[in-house]
Amino acid sequence: MTAVGAADAPPQGVGASLRRKEDARFLRGRGRYVGDITQAGMLEVAFLRSPVAHARLLGVTKPEGAEDRVFTAGDLLGVGAIRAASNLAGFRVSEQPVLARGKLRHVGEAIAACVAPTRAEAEDLAAACTLDYEELPVVTDMLAARAPDAALIHEHWPDNAFLETRREEDLSDLDGIAAAKVTRRLRTARHCMAPLEGRGVLAEWDPRLEQLIVTSSAQMPHVIRTGLAEILGLDEAQVRVIAPDVGGGFGYKGILLPEEVVSAHLAMRLDRPVRWIEDRLEQLTANANCREHHYVVTAWADREGRLLGVEVDATVDAGAYSSYPFSACLEAAQIGSIFPGPYTLPRFRCRTVSACTNKPPILPYRGVARTGVCYAMETTLDALARQLGIGTDAIRLANLVPPEAMPYRNLVGKVFDSGDYPEALRRAIACFDLDRLRARQAAGEYVGFGLGIFCEQGAHGTSVYHGWGIPMVPGYEQALARFTPDGGLELRTGVHSHGQGLETTLAQVAHEVLGVPTARIRVVHGDTALTPYSTGTWGSRAMVMAGGAVAEACRLLGERALAIGAVLLQAGPEAVELAGGAVRRRDGSAAVALEEIARTWYRRPQHLARDVDTGGLEVTAGYRPDPDTGTHSYACHAVIARIDRDTGAVALEDYVVVEDGGKLVNPMIVDGQVLGGLAQGIGTALYEEMPFDAAGQPLAGTLADYLLPGATEVPDVRLDHMETPSPWTRFGQKGIGESGAIGPPAAIVNAINDALHRFGAELTDLPASPARVLAALEAGRRR
Amino acid sequence: MSRMPIRMTVNGKAAELVAEPRTHLADLLRGALLLTGTHLGCEHGVCGACTVELDGIPARSCITHAGACDGAAVRSIEGFDADPVMAALREAFSAEHALQCGYCTPGMLITARDIILRLPDADEARVREELSGNLCRCTGYRGIVHAVLRVLAERRGTAP
Repeated sequence: MTAVGAADAPPQGVGASLRRKEDARFLRGRGRYVGDITQAGMLEVAFLRSPVAHARLLGVTKPEGAEDRVFTAGDLLGVGAIRAASNLAGFRVSEQPVLARGKLRHVGEAIAACVAPTRAEAEDLAAACTLDYEELPVVTDMLAARAPDAALIHEHWPDNAFLETRREEDLSDLDGIAAAKVTRRLRTARHCMAPLEGRGVLAEWDPRLEQLIVTSSAQMPHVIRTGLAEILGLDEAQVRVIAPDVGGGFGYKGILLPEEVVSAHLAMRLDRPVRWIEDRLEQLTANANCREHHYVVTAWADREGRLLGVEVDATVDAGAYSSYPFSACLEAAQIGSIFPGPYTLPRFRCRTVSACTNKPPILPYRGVARTGVCYAMETTLDALARQLGIGTDAIRLANLVPPEAMPYRNLVGKVFDSGDYPEALRRAIACFDLDRLRARQAAGEYVGFGLGIFCEQGAHGTSVYHGWGIPMVPGYEQALARFTPDGGLELRTGVHSHGQGLETTLAQVAHEVLGVPTARIRVVHGDTALTPYSTGTWGSRAMVMAGGAVAEACRLLGERALAIGAVLLQAGPEAVELAGGAVRRRDGSAAVALEEIARTWYRRPQHLARDVDTGGLEVTAGYRPDPDTGTHSYACHAVIARIDRDTGAVALEDYVVVEDGGKLVNPMIVDGQVLGGLAQGIGTALYEEMPFDAAGQPLAGTLADYLLPGATEVPDVRLDHMETPSPWTRFGQKGIGESGAIGPPAAIVNAINDALHRFGAELTDLPASPARVLAALEAGRRR
Repeated sequence: MSRMPIRMTVNGKAAELVAEPRTHLADLLRGALLLTGTHLGCEHGVCGACTVELDGIPARSCITHAGACDGAAVRSIEGFDADPVMAALREAFSAEHALQCGYCTPGMLITARDIILRLPDADEARVREELSGNLCRCTGYRGIVHAVLRVLAERRGTAP
């Protein structure tokens, strides 16, 4: 018998900071991204894109002699428009043509696809086309979009809104009883998610399989497959979507792209492989944006800081179209259910608007609406605390859900599964010498301390999403586990990795259940032909959902192996157990390794019992937590910020995150997720902004204009973990992938305002750029 | 469009190539030479993903015209497999979780190797400053900075 699972082997299962299996290829430049893949006879696509934000499209003149290499909407016979509807009452669905038809609704909208053997030649063709259009008044501001005289972007709509939602509650008595009331008008800036690899697609038609094979830099290959089949009028079996290595996603690659549809159509029509690779200019100026929120928040509190009620009027700039599958309303409408945050808010009134503007459509970015919501709630709380003259810690402790109330159902019906929110706050504060900070402030230094605390719903399932009625609703997550004839273990999952390390963490889950060394476990993902259906990797769901499914498939596979092993050991089923990668007699007298059991099933079936389970050593199992309302990880961010009074620059002196992700499957990878999200949150707080001028022209066309945080902008963050297991998930793990990106704007701007308020200044709009900080200081001086 | 002949040494081997005058070095490496480890992130010289070694010095291959490299020695991520400094960096990058999606990693490693060799006494602030021309959207940089510091410490004999 082989010595599997020796006692002195380093831990590899759930809870081990195992190094990543995928690192070896990435470190040698051997990752394989869509832009690395070529096919014989491949054509490259360049898109002719709209130079204006709003216009009637009158015509496209193709370059002479190249008429058969340039395709406009009129050439795409049988290709539908992208429709991402929602069941929410009053939602207006847009028809997004994959190539502009009749109207141009944002700068960068694709008008024509030009094909050539190289991208450079395809771009030459695009440059040689002539456009005829008649400009229309432009709607760039989400508030002005609903003015009665605003031009209509979709002309059959009564106004420029995809959806308006209301949660009514009469708060008119609060003015009479509250000790404090504040109102704040706040804005977050439009962002581009900016993964380092852009999107890209390589499409080809396989005549033998009669199948369209689409290789795409995608987070959700199965959803793309469904969308492509519907729009192209194909049976779903005729479409295979492969997502190879994906160079970062963050939500940006959770979409069915017009460019994917066009490239797929052209591959079939031209009978040639067709590839489109997004360049940075397209990403920044033409494709989906995110994060642009406007809030008017009013909050009332009693003398101790206990919230009596909150009223919110929130608008999200959703751009010109509803993106598939998440729709144009998910982000804004979600504000109505997540604004109460981690607090025991007693009364709440909320209106949300998903505004339609002449900008690229939005997509849910890491944290989705939570980053804006946390920013609005937490800065308003600090304003309340200042008015009441109490500490920013005290006002939070007066309102946080107490641990003894868990699981806690809040006033909008969100159920928080577990945790100790006040403890996270206390631990974060204990990391700082705040007396010293106050002394520095008293000495005139422009420094401040800020807090941001929030919870993140992750892995929420059917019961949450069916109400949205968007094109996909997550159900049971499935995974396939099987032994190969040599005893290796293969896992197949429909979620996909775009940096999260699922090839490692899912192997750890399988090791936890079966004891197979992770070196002998392979994760197959990113291919609809090879994996069970899944809505994919989004919503901080992969470790909860796919982790649970892999565990369940492995458990069932283990039972099959146990039965075969018992026969090989000539023991009854009750006399054996699965441990350390082998089936062992409980009395320790003999064991048979899983390799031997696999060999028996596949290659020595003569040794199997007559009543063996004919399903063999391959199991597909489904998993869904019960209840499936989602895990709630939570975190407290705390930071000291220093402001340069002359330049307005903000430096982060010390940053602490206390996080509770439940049981951590791989603590090293969790830290990486939190730190990476945090860098993005710092970008939201201080740097990232995609401005548009009055004509709807995007003004940040390069990474020298759209500022991403670099190594000098992100401090060496201190991270502390609480590990309160979720009672509802397989190992107690909670979704945590987005958390890091949620807290920074709240904590950082609260720190800035802690410094500025002594000078009569307060910041309300993101990012807290030097110009905005100086303007706030100047306004304070005038006050 | 006209094409121009280019002779280069790429990863120690002589290469004779032709390219349009507008072709940049990264496209030549990735296309004609199938060296796809050099990644394109911005194609305007900001993100650093395409960093290669050009005559021994890190260079942005996306804003380097291929035609300007006639006679040059180019080393891409595929050319460092026998290099002990790169081996130490790869080990440290994995141990410190200095990579997630892997897209910035080749350029980051080539910049990091240059820091190790050029600035053996660099402290954390200097390492961060030297890395500031390479963007990573996944990691938040801590793992990358720690990996570089770890290799610097190892080479100084002061590793913990």
